[in-house]
Amino acid sequence: MYSFASTPRFPSGWKDISSTALAPSHRFLEHTGELALLIRAGSFEELLEEAGRALAGLQLPAAHGPPETDWEEIAVRSADRDALLVDWLNELIFRAERDRWIAVEFEIRHASATHLIALARGVRVSDAPALVKAATLHELRVDAVPGGMEAHVILDI
Amino acid sequence: MSSSISEIGVGHYRSIRVDDLVREIPASARPDMRVPARIFADDELWQQIVGDRSLDQLVNVATLRGVTGCVYAMPDVHEGYGFPVGGVAAMRMEDGVISPGGVGYDINCGVRLLASNLDAEEVGPKLEAIVHDLSRTVPSGTGRGGRIRLTESELDRVLAEGSRYLLERGMALPEDLPVTEAQGALAAADPSQVSSRAKQRGHDQLGTIGSGNHFIEVQLVDRVFDTAAADAFGLHVGQLTVLIHTGSRGLGHQVCTDYVRRMDAAMLREHIQLPDRELACAPIASVEGRAYFAAMCAAANFAWANRQAITHLVREVFERALGPARRLRLVYDVAHNMAKVERYGDATLLVHRKGATRAFGPGHPETPEPYRAVGQPVFIPGSMGTVSYVLAGTDEALSRSCGSTCHGAGRAMSRGAAKRRQPGFQIRRELEDRGIVVRCPSNAELAEEAPYAYKDVERVVEVVARAGLARKVARLRPLGVVKG
Repeated sequence: MYSFASTPRFPSGWKDISSTALAPSHRFLEHTGELALLIRAGSFEELLEEAGRALAGLQLPAAHGPPETDWEEIAVRSADRDALLVDWLNELIFRAERDRWIAVEFEIRHASATHLIALARGVRVSDAPALVKAATLHELRVDAVPGGMEAHVILDI
Repeated sequence: MSSSISEIGVGHYRSIRVDDLVREIPASARPDMRVPARIFADDELWQQIVGDRSLDQLVNVATLRGVTGCVYAMPDVHEGYGFPVGGVAAMRMEDGVISPGGVGYDINCGVRLLASNLDAEEVGPKLEAIVHDLSRTVPSGTGRGGRIRLTESELDRVLAEGSRYLLERGMALPEDLPVTEAQGALAAADPSQVSSRAKQRGHDQLGTIGSGNHFIEVQLVDRVFDTAAADAFGLHVGQLTVLIHTGSRGLGHQVCTDYVRRMDAAMLREHIQLPDRELACAPIASVEGRAYFAAMCAAANFAWANRQAITHLVREVFERALGPARRLRLVYDVAHNMAKVERYGDATLLVHRKGATRAFGPGHPETPEPYRAVGQPVFIPGSMGTVSYVLAGTDEALSRSCGSTCHGAGRAMSRGAAKRRQPGFQIRRELEDRGIVVRCPSNAELAEEAPYAYKDVERVVEVVARAGLARKVARLRPLGVVKG
């Protein structure tokens, strides 16, 4: 669990804003050729969940109804924590294109530096809108920040 | 030789002006550079290039093991991931590396030009119906599957045989293959090196355009610059043409994803350290290097087969509209995302071209026989609604840019910025007001590909022509576009 809540890092007298966990959020940054995604969340698990939602937002630009499929277990194994984020997104991209299924709701059951197990529910689509070709390792970073985690990942579109 | 300090997106490198159109970042500019970086641009394009991180990415490429000569940026270069889009790097076979990031996710993204045996004015009122039929017949949009479903064994044959397999399936003409780069099939392809995941993504995507800047455009030849070359390519003013731009679709994307991951893991063993992890690479002769090259060749064959399948569908549309006497002849098909083994004098090199087009001249043995007198055709699509160019490769380009030239206008603006500048419906209206028939799944996607989001293709082409990387042959004006 990559959470800040249990790690005091501030000298006495400083305001410890880490006690307030970051609410999961994401935004897209300018990039000439591709799409840069900035994600913030209170923990690594929440970061992965938010990354999944950001991807779903790209793949399903129009409003969609509630998830219509059962929870599906997804396991991903990677070399390190940064690559785990990229591999997680690439796993979702692959499933969207193969299964015409876009995951929109996530629950990370377990996440270590090299392994995650997630549950996901999604919506079926007639044509998988795989706008995103892949998540890349370029300028990838997953950092601890006050209140949680922040990640930057470039998506090839 | 004058020199100037150039500010670059992140960091500062000293650049030397070699001549009016070539700047060089010397190998001494950063301690880890192994070779200089050369950039083809005039002053205006140079200002655009230094506005993003293209040159940082190019300098990173210059650090790769076994890189030789110079690394090059074409005038349409813009920042990508790993390599910049518009980057060229040649590696020595004996000690160099191969990098999937030097080819890109869309392996063998490329362009083919079809020339009709009728003039544009003969199509007249049928143009709108033809463009509409193209949009219905050739699936566009991102993950959309097509009408051609392949069994596992059929897909393996596409991966191994490329366009040749489509000839057997009746979706190619015998005369198509000699005017396709590598005759539409790289012999080094090995379908067994393509993962099951990649095959699952690609099994129903043959004959589909995809998304982003991929398109089918109906055009007319509005100007000829080089009559001899235009004659050799079978082009004349007023003639109707069709330009197809797409690649290897999800199959190629997955091949790249698989091998970036695999090479990322192998780099520790090979003691390779990189300034950018997306440059993940392996020695060309290593297990991973050879496996990627075989898989990349297979994905390239899929891309040629894809453009060939689309050609078949386009020919059906034209036949339905205009009758069987109307023919669409393939002028040429050329890749702009590829790594190829090529001979340069006594050296055999692996040349990575990402967003750059091979442009061999009249004297090169790989220039197709029908074009041996004038040079290999090169097609440079402009941005949506603007002109495209037909160029011819030059022998001079071999020494100046590893036989490479530009691949398009090159993005100058992010998709978000493009969408904020003008809504898609206005762009659609402007194109229609100019008489261009537009079929696009959404106005938002239209806005992302607006002409102002790209550099000026005329300026880009002027630079490569003046720099001797290619010769201008003809200009194509859009009449109708089906956007992916």
